[in-house]
Amino acid sequence: MVHKVLVVEDEELLNRQLCDMLENAGYEAVGSLDGVNAMLAFKSFNPDLVLLDIQLPPTSGIEVCKEIRSVSGVPVIMLTAKTDDEDVVAGLEAGADDYIFKPMPSFKVLQARIEARLRPLREPEVNELVIGPLVIDVLGHEVRRDGVRVPLTPLEFNLLQTLAESPKQVFTREDLLKKVWGYHYDADTRLVNVHVQRLRSKIEDDPDNPKIVVTERGVGYKAGQF
Amino acid sequence: MFTRVFAALIGAFRRSIQLRYVTLTVAFSAISLIAVGGFLSFSIGNGLFQTRVEQILQESKRDSIEVQNTFSSSGATDAVSLQVLVNAVVPNLEQNAASGSRRVALLRTPNQATDQFLQSPISTTLADTDIPLNLRQKVAKTDYRIIYRTEQLLVGGVQTPTVIVGSKINIPVAGQYELYLVYDISDVQATLDFMQSTLAVGGIIMILLLGIVAYFVTGRIVAPVARAAEVAEELALGSLDKRLPERGQDIVSTLARSFNRMAQSLETQIGELSKLSKMQQRFVSDVSHELRTPLTTIKLAAEMLEARSDELDEKARRSLDTLISQVARFESLLSDLLEISRYDAGAVVAELESNDLNTVVKIAVAGLEPLAETLGCELRVKHPKNPVLADLDRRRIERVLRNLISNAIEHGAGKPIQIEVGQSKSAVAVTITDYGVGMSRSQMDRVFDRFWRADPARKRTTGGTGLGLAISLEDTHVHNGWLQVTSKPNQGTTFRITLPRKKDGIFTESPLPLGETLSQRSIT
Repeated sequence: MVHKVLVVEDEELLNRQLCDMLENAGYEAVGSLDGVNAMLAFKSFNPDLVLLDIQLPPTSGIEVCKEIRSVSGVPVIMLTAKTDDEDVVAGLEAGADDYIFKPMPSFKVLQARIEARLRPLREPEVNELVIGPLVIDVLGHEVRRDGVRVPLTPLEFNLLQTLAESPKQVFTREDLLKKVWGYHYDADTRLVNVHVQRLRSKIEDDPDNPKIVVTERGVGYKAGQF
Repeated sequence: MFTRVFAALIGAFRRSIQLRYVTLTVAFSAISLIAVGGFLSFSIGNGLFQTRVEQILQESKRDSIEVQNTFSSSGATDAVSLQVLVNAVVPNLEQNAASGSRRVALLRTPNQATDQFLQSPISTTLADTDIPLNLRQKVAKTDYRIIYRTEQLLVGGVQTPTVIVGSKINIPVAGQYELYLVYDISDVQATLDFMQSTLAVGGIIMILLLGIVAYFVTGRIVAPVARAAEVAEELALGSLDKRLPERGQDIVSTLARSFNRMAQSLETQIGELSKLSKMQQRFVSDVSHELRTPLTTIKLAAEMLEARSDELDEKARRSLDTLISQVARFESLLSDLLEISRYDAGAVVAELESNDLNTVVKIAVAGLEPLAETLGCELRVKHPKNPVLADLDRRRIERVLRNLISNAIEHGAGKPIQIEVGQSKSAVAVTITDYGVGMSRSQMDRVFDRFWRADPARKRTTGGTGLGLAISLEDTHVHNGWLQVTSKPNQGTTFRITLPRKKDGIFTESPLPLGETLSQRSIT
């Protein structure tokens, strides 16, 4: 199966270069030079993954990301030349699954990140998991709360599934980066913090006082005991 | 205990102008009041005494003449009538005293041969021994004059100031007698005492009042100065908008106005400078950002070419290698510049979390093993068995360690590199020692300078950006730690990083020594 990647980047040459290389690597790639076109292309192209530059005219990449999240859980990887922490956190909070700085170490690294987002987590061991009020249908990639479906992005689903599969285990942020994001070294643990917050806001009764995804101070996170 | 109180007093005295001036005022006014009071009581006492003595002398003179006349004109020659006259003298004079009480003695001058011998009458509270012998001798030799002397006599067991006035009386037939009038002048002394105590009480009240006045007056003068000092302190601490109130036309308000003008110009200039420096930092940061996108494009393009390098001939391939390596160098320069500009802008906040320094060192060492292997040098790590926990920003400390270890590998001449982790109660430390080329004193002094390289002739195509140690130093400082170096040419170099164990913790000593045999230079 050929995966479709939408490249949103205002620098025309870089956009073309990325598309060329993605196509060389066996993806179907479409480029988009600004935020408005990006949403149109998103709807018509229906990509499996979006590479999104943060500094976009006229709307910022963060706005585009929010708009994409309002209609889809498709994986979004931010491309950013900014190393300022606020921008990274803002992008993650807008719903981006991952980010990569420009210039990336190499195209291979970018490709590995893309693959990590497109790959399904792994063969599920069970069909159904339960934490407290949540029922996780592993095969159907669905989470229900009191019979009502909770919309989660694939990343959030993976995060929840990983925690739920080993209910007694405390996962460090590094463990989760490895298992959920596919990182093996040197990653930003804020990815975990931000996405745990986003996940909690969707599944917890009171996100400030979480019961399902519990923080283990100084260590990491684990599934709540019910 | 006493010395402590004394020291505290001296301290308070040094600190407070007001206390100093109040003390001075009180001391000076006390001295002048004592002088004035002393003079006053001396002259008043003298005056009182003189007046009293004159009055006594006049009275005595009159009375002694009268007594002499009584005897001269009586014409009595028989012992009995003379004795009657003599006996009447004492009660008469005792009663006739014009001022206060006096006692009387009419004593016969000794050693004379006369026809009659009369008894010498004396006041009952007086003894003839009360009259000093030398006064008696003097009186006996002096004709027609009265002689006086002041004495302290015991009256009823109390020392009492007295004036004794003596004169010679010739009694017909009976010979020469001496008349003594003894005046008690303790009333003068009492008046003087009363006056002195009044003066003393008045003086003390006056000194207290002066002290209070001095306190308020100096307070009025010191208050604006104290306020100015306070505002100056706030200014120094960075509140550049603080000003003094400007009221009136006096010297204090002139001070306030000048002070405010100075503060204004300071504020303007600092504002100007910080605007400039912000602009510059912004510029560096913008440039770095703007260069990133084209750099990404170039890099990706080169990578694409590299994937097809077998289609190129040898020269073209060499060009491609150059392109790739220089793009990499450009990239690391850019990211180091950006990092330094973030530090310069004060935009860096360390994310301090409890971390095991052993693990951080292990990760840094593991990342550099390939480089060490290529250059054939061994990395020897020595660390405590148990985790060395400290609050640190793992990413930054790992970067510092990577930088220091790769420097050591680069300059270590292939000899083993020693890496040691140490800890104390308040601090943790890592030393990285190579036994390679080392540095001279002057090189060591510049080792943390930006873009400085130990060996300018060294090919710039290899190695770092020249910003590595400058960034390491900033990374250490953001932890409130020390980064120190010691080195000797041809012996080697030791870098030591020391960090507080706890966030905001304080330490005074590093847990690890910094190669004692090598000369030292510290940057803390």
